[in-house]
Amino acid sequence: MKKAIIRLATEKPRVVYAIVLAMVLVTAAMMVRLEIDTDPESMLAADQSDRVFHNKVEDRFVLHDAIVVGIVNNDHPDGVYNVETLTSLHSLTEQILAIDGVIEPDLMSLAVADNIGQEGPGTIRFEWMMRDAPTTEAQAKDIRDKVGRLPLLQDTLVSGDGRAAAIYVPIASKDLSYKISQEIIGLTESIATSDEFHVTGLPVAEDTFGHEMFLQMGISAPLAGLMIFLLMLYFFRSAPLVIAPMLVAMATVVVSMGLLIGLGFTVHIMSSMIPIFLMPIAVVDSVHIMSDFVDQYRPGDDAKEVVSEVVDHLYTPMLFTSLTSAVGFASLLLTPIPPVQVFGVFVAFGILLAFILTILLIPAYIVRLSPAALSHLLSGSKSGHTQTPLAHLLRRVGRFSMRRGKLITGLAVVLIAVSVAGISRIEINDNPVRWFKANHPIRVADAVLNEHFAGTYDAFFVLTHSDTNAKAEFVSNAEALLSDIEDPYASALKEQLANSGDSDFYGAIIATADDALFESESDASMSALESLIALAEDAQSASRYFQRPDVLAEIEAIQVALDDSGLVGKTNALPDVVKVVNRELRGGDAEHYAIPGSVPAVAQTLLQYQSSHRPQDLWHMVTPDFSSTAIWLQLTSGDNQDMTQVIDALDAHLAERPLPAGVEGRWAGKNLINVVWQDAMVKGMLLSLVGAFGAVFLMMTLLFRSVRLGLLAMVPLSVTILGVYGLIGWIGKDYDMPIAVLSSLTLGLSVDFAIHFIQRARAILQSTGSFETTYLEVFEEPARAIARNAIIIAIGFTPLFFAPLVPYITVGAFMAAIMALSGVTTLVLLPALMSWAGGWLFGRDLGQAGPAPDAAATA
Amino acid sequence: MKRAFILAASLLLMANAIASDMTDADAIVERSNLASYYAGADGRSEVRMLIADAQGRKQRRQFTVLRRDVEEGGGQQFLVVFSQPSDVRNTVFLVHKHLDRDDDRWLYLPGLDLVKRISAGDKRTSFVGAHYFYEDVSGRRPSEDSHELVETTDEYYVLKHVPLDPSSVEFASYTTWIDRNTFLPMKIEYVNDAGKLYRSVEVLQVEDIDGHSTVTRSRVSDHIGGGQTDMQFRFIAYDLGLPDDVFTERSLRSPPRTWLERSSD
Repeated sequence: MKKAIIRLATEKPRVVYAIVLAMVLVTAAMMVRLEIDTDPESMLAADQSDRVFHNKVEDRFVLHDAIVVGIVNNDHPDGVYNVETLTSLHSLTEQILAIDGVIEPDLMSLAVADNIGQEGPGTIRFEWMMRDAPTTEAQAKDIRDKVGRLPLLQDTLVSGDGRAAAIYVPIASKDLSYKISQEIIGLTESIATSDEFHVTGLPVAEDTFGHEMFLQMGISAPLAGLMIFLLMLYFFRSAPLVIAPMLVAMATVVVSMGLLIGLGFTVHIMSSMIPIFLMPIAVVDSVHIMSDFVDQYRPGDDAKEVVSEVVDHLYTPMLFTSLTSAVGFASLLLTPIPPVQVFGVFVAFGILLAFILTILLIPAYIVRLSPAALSHLLSGSKSGHTQTPLAHLLRRVGRFSMRRGKLITGLAVVLIAVSVAGISRIEINDNPVRWFKANHPIRVADAVLNEHFAGTYDAFFVLTHSDTNAKAEFVSNAEALLSDIEDPYASALKEQLANSGDSDFYGAIIATADDALFESESDASMSALESLIALAEDAQSASRYFQRPDVLAEIEAIQVALDDSGLVGKTNALPDVVKVVNRELRGGDAEHYAIPGSVPAVAQTLLQYQSSHRPQDLWHMVTPDFSSTAIWLQLTSGDNQDMTQVIDALDAHLAERPLPAGVEGRWAGKNLINVVWQDAMVKGMLLSLVGAFGAVFLMMTLLFRSVRLGLLAMVPLSVTILGVYGLIGWIGKDYDMPIAVLSSLTLGLSVDFAIHFIQRARAILQSTGSFETTYLEVFEEPARAIARNAIIIAIGFTPLFFAPLVPYITVGAFMAAIMALSGVTTLVLLPALMSWAGGWLFGRDLGQAGPAPDAAATA
Repeated sequence: MKRAFILAASLLLMANAIASDMTDADAIVERSNLASYYAGADGRSEVRMLIADAQGRKQRRQFTVLRRDVEEGGGQQFLVVFSQPSDVRNTVFLVHKHLDRDDDRWLYLPGLDLVKRISAGDKRTSFVGAHYFYEDVSGRRPSEDSHELVETTDEYYVLKHVPLDPSSVEFASYTTWIDRNTFLPMKIEYVNDAGKLYRSVEVLQVEDIDGHSTVTRSRVSDHIGGGQTDMQFRFIAYDLGLPDDVFTERSLRSPPRTWLERSSD
């Protein structure tokens, strides 16, 4: 197999080129199907129960993703309650309503809000809050007074301090949010007032992120590629030689991404980073081959022979490094988050592809270089390679780590201890808005609006009452009543009784029975029908569970508990509506801000609420059959930690005051989705890491045919993972998705260095039998290849620092840290360990060659 | 006697209308207004409303309307008494409609045992959660809009109506298709400021009751939010001789059973 591949590459380079080119062209053509998905909901599988419930709740209460537009006035003594600001609010609202994709009936703004109030004694008034913009300051203040009386508007449409007003713009589809937000920003720019305008909201953040991510794929990845190219050029001093690994990297990236898109996967924040992850990994193997080739090749040698030899002895370590890296990423399949799984699988695929492309393309490329180019390559590099500052440094490192083995080991143990302490401090937290830098307009808007308002983040606690038993009881009683009736209506009624899923089940039965009553001739059937109607009316009234005053009181208690927790900006729910309408019906005094005492009273209060301009608003809080209700929580933070605290606070309340029997409470909302997937991610990542760790250890043991060496190979990656996550803990960086995925990267890349190092050290040891010689030799070409790789990858990713998106910066920074740490642990800690435990580790290899290890080490 | 005369006169007018096209928009509207809201000197009707939202989720309301014309084509009185759902039973609306000033409206909520006056303010709010407005129930005054005859087809007079005070309504204009025989508006389409059709009312069924062509089924559709309300009018009777004390505040707390029950036919 190996021989066949090498022969194909060196004998038929043109065929290799043709095959690779064809692959690249075909997959590149698939990229036109690119579809970006930045919806955090997609972090959960489409059939995941919380996501399914969240979507059901959105349908049930007609909730839409909303863009939040804020108008802030810091100058006027009455804040936004002045003619100028309210006029701009009014005209902005009208213009927004005219934008395509805005769901008009559900838009919330003072300009389309309804007011209920008093008009003289005994007279109630329903009116638009601000049908036309005010023309006098007195009118503006009048609006302020009215808003102050409506808890559902106060702190939602206008901030408590009166400094800011908000427009909630529901949109038909999340994909429209970037476009619509840009249109709104355009509108605000044409308004000539002293007010500040802000546009934010989760869908805007997500969609905007998608756009910037798309840009970054076109900027960051190519920049990283350029950086890697320049670094390799510096190390190898030969442009023709360095072009080869770039071709491998590009082909790998194009084929992997093309395939991902071609297979119909959407590009998510994680998959957008696949090129950035694949590029260094794809280059790593090439660097080993080239490093080796440059060291071995002498002028006049047959390039074909030398390269075959190089590939031959690098084949096994490269195969294993590729397999282990691939396993590291493939282990992400154990994390139940689809975008992470897709990311893992395609990076794993890319790594294996890169391996194949490397052993095909690099030799093919080298044999096609002209002798002149080859000798130029040599003159440029040969002497330089063994005499560079890096080469000198590495030799010194080798000597140092050999002599101070125990000290280094001790330091490593301290480092591990410190790291473990750091890991215990890690905060798991993510929030899509934080994917932007602090000075991004979306972050600024988010901060400003959440400072003024009760919060632009939503969560919903949904209560559902199940009346299956009551319904069954009603049906059987009703059937008993009808059993002796021969009227033609009786069969129609029986049919309706069977149709218990109808949203208007009882109403339809009452209507039919009412019709039947009119037609009916016999006294017996009339009395049966009258009983049936009475029965159905009672059952209907009882089924409207959330009209019950005692139940509304339970909801009120939940609201109080949440409000008192200090974690929630504000809660809005059915009791608020009932209390406001009841107060205004009873004359408007504060003492009547209470839930009336009977079901009919509540029902009639709500009937009045429905007599407004916006009767549909009621159905955002309760279903038309009153069997399910939603408490809307406004939160000032989208951090899942904060949401978790809210959930805990409510759990504590419900532990003391449980929900009534038959009522189920469940969370929904974007903030909850974040909590759920992050929880899944943390657990899944741990599983992935453990799984990959086990698999890699097994592979190492197989590769080296030694458990001891297998363990040794796990040392650098273990120390690196602990070190990197310890660092995250100590610097207080939140553990978010990009950070989580880095563990796989660490695992995959760190083990590469260890494999090369141990494999080469062992080969040298076997042939020389001397640790002394082994150290000297291993710190020549093998160490240089490792160091070059570490430096290329670490520095190659510095362009990511300039990306406007935080996850990219995170990945860039930690990529550098991982490379540095795993390079250092491999080159320092491994020889240090070998210096005092070499005999135990390599016992068998020495057994074949002779002298005792300790003697050699101390010689 | 007087009523018989009016009936004869309107029959004559109707014959006249069939014989020749009417060309005066205001006159058509006037006739249509009478046909829609002033059939008989008084009347009673049981109304069922089936309110469906965009997802087809339904609510039902049932009420009886008593109407008395103070003056043909002029002031009117309405008493609306709810019977379903049972939780809102005996909720009562009383309306005194005036042409020369704001209407008087009262409300009685039995669950709260409360009589309230409702401010005249805005009549284009939802009627108890339906897609119908208060104004659709009692009728919009013809004098509030300017009328233009757009087209005369074989069946309909097509008229466009523009509000004289645009700030008092949510529409920019509406178009009606008035049946040339019955003068009932068979379809009304409302257009908003953006020029978009957002709301329509259609008549689904017309029956002859006591010689009056009467709408017995109609539907209002919301073309933006989705959803619709179907209205069914049953047990209709005209010229019952309803006394005017039926339409006083006293009826709020104790609805006039004799006139409300079907057997009073």
